[in-house]
Amino acid sequence: MDLFLQYLANGIVVGSSYVLVAVGLTLIFGILGIVNFAHGEFYMLGGFAGIGLATVLGLPLIVSLLGVVAFAALLGFLAEQILNRQVKDKDPTNSIVSSFGLAVVLQNAALLVIGPQPMLLRTDLSMVPVEIGPVYLPLQRALIPVAMIVLVGALHLLLRYTWVGMSLRAMAQQPTVARMCGIRVSRVAIVTFMTGAVFAGVAGFLMSSVFMVHPLIGNMIVLKAFTVVILGGMGSVTGAAAAGLMLGIVESMTSAYLGNGLRDIVGFLMVVIVLLAWPQGIFGRKLERS
Amino acid sequence: MLKLDNIEAGYGNTRILHGVSLEIPKRGLVALLGGNGTGKSTTLKAIMGLVGLQSGTVTVDGRDMAGIAPEARAGLGLSLVPQGKEAFGAMSVEDNLRMGAYHRRKDRAGIAIDLEAVYTRFPRLKERRRVAAGMLSGGERQMLSIGRSLMSRPSVLLLDEPSAALAPKIVEEIAEAILGLRELGLTLLLVEQNVGMALDIADRLYVIRGGRIAHETAVGDGIAMSELQEFYLGGHQDA
Repeated sequence: MDLFLQYLANGIVVGSSYVLVAVGLTLIFGILGIVNFAHGEFYMLGGFAGIGLATVLGLPLIVSLLGVVAFAALLGFLAEQILNRQVKDKDPTNSIVSSFGLAVVLQNAALLVIGPQPMLLRTDLSMVPVEIGPVYLPLQRALIPVAMIVLVGALHLLLRYTWVGMSLRAMAQQPTVARMCGIRVSRVAIVTFMTGAVFAGVAGFLMSSVFMVHPLIGNMIVLKAFTVVILGGMGSVTGAAAAGLMLGIVESMTSAYLGNGLRDIVGFLMVVIVLLAWPQGIFGRKLERS
Repeated sequence: MLKLDNIEAGYGNTRILHGVSLEIPKRGLVALLGGNGTGKSTTLKAIMGLVGLQSGTVTVDGRDMAGIAPEARAGLGLSLVPQGKEAFGAMSVEDNLRMGAYHRRKDRAGIAIDLEAVYTRFPRLKERRRVAAGMLSGGERQMLSIGRSLMSRPSVLLLDEPSAALAPKIVEEIAEAILGLRELGLTLLLVEQNVGMALDIADRLYVIRGGRIAHETAVGDGIAMSELQEFYLGGHQDA
């Protein structure tokens, strides 16, 4: 039982990073209709930026975190210019193909500039233990779910109670009516991309103390995030949050009780089953009377 | 005041409107009648700027709309009640109404006043204010659409087939609500297939066919329903 709780905690830590990446992916898809294959690179670059600021420059962790946020926001802004502004009006599939291209460019740019050597973030926090009953986590891991809850909670409040958030939801639900209300598509697109990139970048930074960061790490994380988005229902933030935690926990349990080799397969198996049985996603629902 | 002067518009190389002109004086209620595919919706999209003009001008309260983005037109007094009673389905009725005031979102006091005014006009919406808009009935959703437009404080209001897919009793209610809008001093353009409703409330009728105005008449000129239907159904050859 004690071990089970430890696996559960590990699953929640990893699942929290899936949530952070998937929330941005589902927002960009739900609001702009863009399938962003370059989303994993926000995660990868967030990890490298954080390691650079904290380890190479030796900045305090909180300052490094703010630096990662600013850097990721800039990345999101630039990605919007490339994936939405330039190509979207011509054909919706353009943005899918160009996001693939952007992913390859960013991966190779990272290989050229940083090199293939995997890096790990080492901080003083790894020495600080957090013990909850039989569960043990280093402080820097225990902070990952906390950061996830704070960020997703803040996003939830933003979407529900602010004009910016309401304009995002309006654009997701009825783009034409939203424009007629005076909402500017270009502004919504920039806010959406910047939010998505910041969430993924922060996830990359937080996880850089758990998994090694290398230039191709985005490939796996973006597939995990797509898994979460499909399980949670395309475009649903709460669905992505629930499904992300679920995937993290299921992977942790699979790896513990069935073998580590099955860890990365189980999510895709779930996607196939969910798409067959509930194409709307487990947490997706339609709120429209036909 | 709304004026269309010889507008031509379409999609890509396909031209839908071949020179549509119409004029609505302030406080006027004009109906634009026509069947499916005659250019009614394209006319509305051209007014809102969703379809680019190939030639001609759209003037709202004396101001030429050329070069003004669709999302900027709400702030200039132009509002569209879209076809199909489209609403932000997952948002509450009250949030839907608030979105109508998006272009003047800093005006908190004004928005609160306008919200109460919409609730007074449509008490049903007040009862349902916390409900998701997607759960409303067709008639309620039409009221919500009109209410959302009113929240933008328009001077010119365009209504795209407000009677479509509604029961006759509800259509009557909506017609009455539209008549009520005249008291606000609004300039109204009603696009309809429902000739009866248009005859009941409009003071001037235009019939559009093949992207051209085929007929124009004032209501009360002793216009015969049968004559109108002949135009409307296309039995009459173009002059």
